[in-house]
Amino acid sequence: MPSDGGVLHRRYSYRVTCVTLRGEAAVTSQMLDVSLHERRRDRRMQDPQYRAAYEQAARELAQTDAVIQQLDSLRADMGISKAELARRVNRNASSVRRLFTASQVRPELPLIAALADALGAELRVIPLTAEARRATRAHGRHRRVAATG
Amino acid sequence: MPPRDRGQRRPHGPPGQDANEQLPWAIVYYKTPDGTVPVLEFLDDCPGTVDAQFTAVLDAVAAAPPPRFSGGGKWEAMHGTMGGWYEIRLTGPGREQLRLFCLLENGTSDELAKRGLPRPAIAVITGMRKPWRTVFSERDYQRVRELGREHQQNYPRRIAT
Repeated sequence: MPSDGGVLHRRYSYRVTCVTLRGEAAVTSQMLDVSLHERRRDRRMQDPQYRAAYEQAARELAQTDAVIQQLDSLRADMGISKAELARRVNRNASSVRRLFTASQVRPELPLIAALADALGAELRVIPLTAEARRATRAHGRHRRVAATG
Repeated sequence: MPPRDRGQRRPHGPPGQDANEQLPWAIVYYKTPDGTVPVLEFLDDCPGTVDAQFTAVLDAVAAAPPPRFSGGGKWEAMHGTMGGWYEIRLTGPGREQLRLFCLLENGTSDELAKRGLPRPAIAVITGMRKPWRTVFSERDYQRVRELGREHQQNYPRRIAT
């Protein structure tokens, strides 16, 4: 078995046969090895600079996604459609829909704040504790933005 | 397209794939007929930190595929002639703009098996870069689409392993 980054990966290739209701073999396919991405990532993560960049990006993505997910959950809990929410903040319905469906690459903070307000929520910037900063190997300037109801 | 606007986010994928929904999607790299892997050539040519960011975005999307993942500000559904494609958008040193172009591989278990995929996947087709405040030409996008068409014609898919 190959070893990359201290992690053993089982490279697999096996045959799958699907059977129809009449008992006939309908699909026979050789499954592909789809582990290259993981093996490459694990190998690259041995570089401390690469790992730091990866972890920082992952944190930023998670924070942005969490805020949008929380807003969408609030909206759903309140039974408000995206179109109605857009009307409440005087925005085009498509801009709100894009925000919640990965169709907008850079969520605008003013829009996020307006949506939070319309949903009876607010945005906060919460400094991490020193312990949390150490844990995330932060550079001392990380902030956590959360939508709170 | 009818709005899917009521209630909680819809789970991804077609019905009957509950087992798959528990797993992150696979991430696969398209391989050309001559054996080159455009996206690996692109990533290997990127600064390490940019490569790491692309990888982090891919992993985040794979963990919560569309429509569950909002995009985190980096993952975007494309439109117009690139409808059906997704891109990851990053800014590199000197404000250089770097993009990865992806297709989603989803379907019933039978369909995925025909493609040789054990579970739904993000197929990363290629990457491109451009200076800040410039645009890719339609010809650039056409080249991307041609690679995507070539990828989708293959049963099973031709991917780097």
